[in-house]
Formats: sequence, structure tokens, C-alpha cells
Amino acid sequence: MRRNAVIVLTVVTLAIAGWYLLVPGGGSANVRARLHALSDMINSSTVDGLGPEARAAQLGAFFTDDVDVDLGGGAAPIRGRETLIGMAGRLQPRTAAFRLQFEDVTITMAPGDAAADVHLTAEIIRRSITTGDESLDAREFTLGMRLVGGEWQIARVTAVDTLK
Amino acid sequence: MRVLVLAAVSFITFRWVLIPIRTEGSSMLPTYTPDRLHFVNRLAYGAGGPGRGDVVAIQMAGPHVLYVKRVVGLPGERVAIAGGEVQINGTTLTEPYVRHRRPWDVAEVTLGPREYFVIGDNRGMSAGDHDFGRVQVNRILGRVVF
Repeated sequence: MRRNAVIVLTVVTLAIAGWYLLVPGGGSANVRARLHALSDMINSSTVDGLGPEARAAQLGAFFTDDVDVDLGGGAAPIRGRETLIGMAGRLQPRTAAFRLQFEDVTITMAPGDAAADVHLTAEIIRRSITTGDESLDAREFTLGMRLVGGEWQIARVTAVDTLK
Repeated sequence: MRVLVLAAVSFITFRWVLIPIRTEGSSMLPTYTPDRLHFVNRLAYGAGGPGRGDVVAIQMAGPHVLYVKRVVGLPGERVAIAGGEVQINGTTLTEPYVRHRRPWDVAEVTLGPREYFVIGDNRGMSAGDHDFGRVQVNRILGRVVF
């Protein structure tokens, strides 16, 4: 009897821990899915054969018109979707062999569920074209996201200096 | 029953106590080479903060992507780098784990009461390619062991 109780308790504990660790809250699930879609879109950009205009339209859908990007390190802030897309288009040929993924994503929903603050680590795995070796860069960011016309868009990107 | 207990103990241990990590990059060479498995002891600093010379894991947005760096400066100390040598309160720090040095120069900073100065062992690389500096104690996840 006591043995069965211990087994049940262990299973319940593991189930609760698994649920807590693996299942995001309902309000933040759409934000998380949107970020996942962004990384998928960027990662597929090297193989899907889309032209620059189609790529710009795809990327633009993830950002608000007035997006504000501050990458820190003395770099000038990037203001506006058109500027951001233009810069991304110029960078693309030099950064073809890479993979982006978001880790440790924490989402805090604003009251009303129409805005969210996101804290994450962006991992970029670059593959050398010549040797095939992979190297990893990581950077911490905070994002501000807004629900615009039923779609979550990024309104603010701020790089965080983990080491100062 | 034993399998369940073992699974539970393993889950708790490797999730919250002894976290496995795989090293990437060259900033901790020669002490830590890329693509090796190590562990972070999250209980190492339960009774006090890191000591000088400890290799620690520093979290970014969370525990899945970490910096691995060596502590060289402790709270309240003045830290500078002159000609590649770390200076603590004006005195050169002896660092036997550093094999190669470039003449890095970093202006003196005074660490806050909850700040540590961390840096990689590979000083043979360009300072611009090497992430180092002050870190708040609450970002230090634990001590790198094994």
C-alpha cells in the first residue's frame, strides 16, 4: 500500500514538473509560436530560393512600422521597418551559412494580452563555407511585441550586455 | 519502483544541481577545449560567492546558453588590464592558466558590492573577439566542475 503511494506520488511529481517545464501558458503560446516562425523563416532563407522582394515582405510581417532596434556596442539604433529590411537584405549574402534559434524564452504578457515583453537568448550557429566547421555566437535580447491586426509583431529589440 | 526513483533523482540532479554543459568556442583555451562535456555545480556558492580563480557559468536569458569564464576580480576591487596583465588594486595578478597573451589594455573599473570581473583564459585572441567584463552575482549559475 505504502509502496503504491510512493509510486503514484513520484509519477504525479514528474508529471507536474514536466507540465511546468514544457508547456507554455496559453496567453504566451501565440507569441512563442510567432518567434518560432521568425526563426524558421530566417533559417529557410538560404534554401527556399525566394527573391529579395518576397523575402522583404516575409520579414516585414514580423515587425511593426515603427520598430526600434538597439544592438548596443556603440552601433547606431535602427528605426523603422523599411530601414531594418534594407539592412537585412544587404547582410544576407555575407551570412548565408547560418542557423538562428531562440533559447530560454521568457514571455510576460501585458494586461489585455495585446502586448508582451520577451527576454531570450539568440543563438547563431555559423557554418564555415570552406571547412564546414560550426561556431556558435549567442546574445541576450529583450523584445517588445504588439498584437497588430491579429498578428504578433516585434516593436522593439534591445541587446542586453550580459558582461559589462 | 527503483527505476522510478532513479529517474526522479536523475531528473532533479541534472536539472537543478549538476547541470551538464557542452563547451563551445575558444575563449577558455587551453583550460577548456570546445565540444567537451562538463558540469555546473549550482550548489557551489550556497554559503558564499565565487572565489578568485574559480571557473563559473554565467547565464544569459536563462540556463541553456551560458558563458564559461574565470573570476579574476571580486566585489569592491579595482580591476584593470595593462599590457595583457590583469591588475587587481594596482597589483599584477599571477595567472598560471594563461599560456598566451596579447597586450590588451582595459581602463580600471571599481566593482560594485555584487559584481565580479570575469574573463576567459585565452588571452592570445583579440580583445575585441573575447567577451569579458563585470557581471552581477545573480547571473552566476554555479561553478564549472569535472
